[in-house]
Order: sequence, then structure tokens, then C-alpha cells
Amino acid sequence: MRSRRFPELAVSLCLVLAASWLIGAAEAVTVVDQTGRTVTISGSVERIASIYGLGTYFFYALGVQDRLVAGGYVGVKSVAQASEAMLRFEPRLEELLVFGDPNVEELIARGAQLLLVDGSRHAGFAEQMTELGIPVLQYLVETGDSMKEALRLTGRALGGNATARAEAFIADHERVLETVAADLSNLQDEDRVRVLFVGTSPLRVSSGEMYQTELIDAAGGTSVSAELFGYWNDVNLEQVLLWNPDVILIPPYGPIQPRDLLEDPDWQAIRAVRDGRVYRMPRLIAPMDTPVPESLLGVVWMASVLYPDLISLDLAEEAARFYATYYDFALTEDDIALLIAP
Amino acid sequence: MTTKRGRTAWVLAALAPALFLLALLIGRYGIRIDETFRALFAPESVSDVIRALILRVRLPRALAAVCIGANLAVTGAAFQGLFRNPLVDSRILGVSSGAAFGAALALLVSAGTIGLQASSFAFALLAVGLVCLIGLRFGSAALILVVGGILVSALFNALLGLIKYVADPLSSLPAITYWLLGGLSDVRWATIGPLLALTGFGLVFFLVVRWRLNVLTLSESEATALGVRIRGFRTTVILVGTLLIASSVAVGGIIGWVGLVVPHVARAWVGPDHGRLIPVSIGLGAVTVLALDTIARTALPSEIPLGILTGLVGVPAFFLLFLRFLRVRGEAR
Repeated sequence: MRSRRFPELAVSLCLVLAASWLIGAAEAVTVVDQTGRTVTISGSVERIASIYGLGTYFFYALGVQDRLVAGGYVGVKSVAQASEAMLRFEPRLEELLVFGDPNVEELIARGAQLLLVDGSRHAGFAEQMTELGIPVLQYLVETGDSMKEALRLTGRALGGNATARAEAFIADHERVLETVAADLSNLQDEDRVRVLFVGTSPLRVSSGEMYQTELIDAAGGTSVSAELFGYWNDVNLEQVLLWNPDVILIPPYGPIQPRDLLEDPDWQAIRAVRDGRVYRMPRLIAPMDTPVPESLLGVVWMASVLYPDLISLDLAEEAARFYATYYDFALTEDDIALLIAP
Repeated sequence: MTTKRGRTAWVLAALAPALFLLALLIGRYGIRIDETFRALFAPESVSDVIRALILRVRLPRALAAVCIGANLAVTGAAFQGLFRNPLVDSRILGVSSGAAFGAALALLVSAGTIGLQASSFAFALLAVGLVCLIGLRFGSAALILVVGGILVSALFNALLGLIKYVADPLSSLPAITYWLLGGLSDVRWATIGPLLALTGFGLVFFLVVRWRLNVLTLSESEATALGVRIRGFRTTVILVGTLLIASSVAVGGIIGWVGLVVPHVARAWVGPDHGRLIPVSIGLGAVTVLALDTIARTALPSEIPLGILTGLVGVPAFFLLFLRFLRVRGEAR
């Protein structure tokens, strides 16, 4: 009896030792953030904060939103301004929402143990928090690839299930891009839809360096204003006539509605307006034309708008799955209607 | 009258340290009074968080506020006398516009806090240097310096506009916008060394020469008639004032109205003699910015830009002083 029990005991002791070693090793994580700084996160992180309006959504995608103690949400300045869907999505919005320049003491009072900031906007603040011993991840997200890298980085920093969720999202994102590309594989270059992506005014258009252009390319279109540099560019109507786009897209923020262009006599000479192909991107939670996880749906929406007969992905189905899988958020009928409205 | 003026100085001298202590006592993070004192005098006896908040957040920030307030006010007072123009403030020679351009440039290329300060400081000096070159070439009469200041400011404002136009609307553009509104939320010990050193030097300079500043309010011919050579002295005052303003703007961004209004309040209290005006301006400027910055960091969960608060307080204060001036002149109805 004795001789048989001893190896069992030894094995279980070894297992316990190995497990405790693994847990010990998992306690300090070192990651390199997108500004190249090495950040060490020790112990489990129970309270996290994001003052980066796009990056806050990374925490949702990774399933750790319950640990948020403060968050910026792109385009949401106050609870009063938040949509009904937004309040369902984050019932704690009033408690979490921070806007503008953050306050060091406020974040420490809330007990933040890990902070996410925009490296090109709050670098000074990041240095200050780092000095106070709070690990800060700085992000520089401008493209789909840097968004995926940011998610992967955040997943590694948080550990546990978050790492797997980051990989699952990245695989899903690639599946969507590949499916759209496969659906459009027979499309000739001259048949690609020529798109003008306007901004918060009809004559403010996206440049070739913006994420909007990347989305248009992913959706199989061609941005007529891709030759422009920088961010939003102001142009005149003559230039728009010269481009003569097939489709005009409007971002999910700002005051312009499709009818503003469709009813404007000055714009009637433009093909997109004549054909009635002016669309405003829907917005449920974050704007899908920015590098947030939801921009995956931005590609599906855009591809469906540009090539309704060729795309095999179903926007309603993809949206329901996306929000359920990544944001743990069940869509209502109204939400789906809003997303697939023409 | 003398006793009243004397009392003003005493009130200010007592108010400043009291307010400084109060600024250390309050913040978003609740820290008990005894803990604050222990953090200051026996740092080992309090928790790491409290020690860090008092010694590394509130203390450097309060010091920066005091320095910036004193610098803006003293330079405003000196320049108002030097240019013989009560509507002048420290921005007259283009220093703020230069600093704003330098800061925006650094934010555009994500140069970090030290880079931002260095760039802002360098362009502030460059702007004033250009004005002085104009003065050197075309005669350094006050009018030429003022016009030079307007031109150089306009040039840097145009360049600032260009940077804002090409900046990323989601990150660097808001960063530039917030910087232009002024604020001390990023202050750390590591970033305020030059400010503390230059402030110490500059304030001592102005306190030592404060009686001589009265001579600058005379025209050049009047001064020459009195046997005083003012050109070299005027250049020195401009140079030291520029160093004070440039180092302040580099840390706190554009904080308006302090340099214009505080000297007027001080003048209303103690009269136009620079011997009294300079120390009272220093104290009043320090107290004002410290009080407003304490509000900026405690009133709301997010920071309130300091430049907004100084404007909200400065404009009505200036209007009241102006009404008083009209009444004294018998022009108010």
C-alpha cells in the first residue's frame, strides 16, 4: 500500500510545485508598448482605466470591461449625449466616463492598476503616471495592423483569457477580409466602385493616409481622394466634379445626412448623387470608420453597400455575432434595423 | 494711506504660504490633514500612494503654479511700464505665439514632454529674437518693438494654423488644442527644473532693479536729460522677462490675462511706483494662479484647462478696474 501511494504523492507534489511556479512566473508580465517603452505589469490587474477613446473598446473586445474604473469613449462627451444603445452597452457609463485631460489623483483614487493612453496625445500624462508606479500602455493606432497589434499587446498585458480573445478577434478580422476579397476576386480594376469618403462637412474629404481609405480598399472600392495627404482635407466642388465618384460615404458622426447632398442642386451633376448612392455609416457603439474592433463590421457594411450583389457576408448576422462574441452585448431588433438601414 | 499699503503687503505675505499649504491639503484623492503633514515632514510614516501624491504630484504642481503666476505678473508689470502702455502684457513681443508654435510642432511629431518644453522655449526665444533684430535694424523705439511683436506673432500664428491643419484630428489636434488652453496636469519634478531655476534668477533680478524700472517709464530723451542711459537696461529687462515667460509657457501652456490684470490690481492697491508694484505683483500673481490651478485640478473628475479659468476671472476683474479708472477720470456715467 505504502509503496504504491508514494509515487502518487510525489507526482501531485510536483504538480503543485509546477503550478505555483507557473503562477509565480505569470505574476510579472513585460510587454513593449507601441511607443517602444517596456512596461512591466506585476500581479493580477483588477482595476484598469483607459483615457484613450478608441482603446477603451479593446478592453471590451478582450472581455475585461468589468474591471474598468474609468474610460474615455470616442465622441462621447457626456452621458446625456450618449445613445440609448450606448447606455445599454455600458450601464456604468456615468460612473466610468472621463472626458478631456485626465486628473492624476482621480485615477489613483479610483485605484487604477493599469492605464491605457494615446501615445500621441497624452505622452506627458503617461510619464507622470509611470513615475507614480502605475504601468501605462501607450498606443499609436492608425491602421488595421496597428489595431491588431494593440489588441494582441493588451491581451498579453492582461493575460488569462484576454490573450486568446485577442487571437480569436484577429483570426476573425482576417476571415472577413479574406471572404470579401474572395467574393470580389472576379472584379476587374475598372469595375471597382469609386468612393468619396466625406467628413463632418461635404467638402471635407478623407486623405489616402487615413483609416477610411484602408477600409474602402478592404471593401473592394477605390478612394477617389487617396492622392491627398494628412487627415481631413478641404476641397472645392470643382474637384469633387472632377473625381465624379460612384458612391459618397458619410461618417457616423457630424451633421451631414445623405439627403443634404441628394437635395443640394449644386451636387446634382455628381454621379453618386444622380444615382442616389449616398450613404451614412450606421453607428451603434463606436464609430466604425475608426481603428476600433467594430471597424470589422465597417468593412462588411461598406462592402455590402458597394457590391450588394457580390458579397456573401450577411451584415445582420455578422453584427449579431460580433457584438455577442466580443462585446458580450445582445442586439435588439432595433439595433439590427439601424445597422442594415439602407 | 501708507499703513493701508503696508497692510496689503502683510496680508499678501501671510496669504501666500497659507494658500500654498491649502493647495497641498486638497485634491481629488482624499488625504487627511495629519497625513499631508507627515508626508511633508516624516515621509516614511505614510503609505507610498500618499507620499507620492503629496511630494510628487501636488508639491511640484503647486510650486509650478506659484512660479508661473509670479513670472507672468512681474513681466506684465515691467513691460507695461517699459512700453508705457497699460494694455500690454507679457505676450507683446510674440513670446507666446512662438512658444505655441514650438509646442504644437513637438506635439505633431510626438517629441515627449522634454522635447515639447525645449521646442516651446526655443521658439519663444526665437520669436523675441526676431523682434529684437527688427529693433536693432530699425531703431528700438517702443513703437517699432510693438509693431515687430505684432508681425512676429502673426507669423507664428499662421504657422500654428498650418500645423493644426495637418494634425491628426483624433490625437495630436486635441493635444495641441488642450495645450493652448494652458494647464499644469503634466507637471513633474523632472520637468520643472529650468522653470524653478530661471524663476529664482529672474525674480531676484526684478526685485533688485525694481526702483530703476521707474526710469523706463520716461521717454528716452527725458531719461537722457536726467543723465540715465536706459537702452542697455531696457534690453536687459526684455531679456530677463522673456526668459521668465518662455520658461513658464513651456511648462504651463498659454495662460492669459494674469500678466495683464494682476499688475493693474497691484497698481490699484499700492500705486504705480515699481518699488512697491513689483513685489506685490509677484505675490498676487503667485496667489492667483495657485488658487485657480487648485480649482482646475479639484473641481471636476477631469482637468479644467487653466487658461479658461484665468480668462473667466480675468475679464470681469479687468472690466471692474476699467470702470474704476473711468470713475477716477470722471468719465463714467
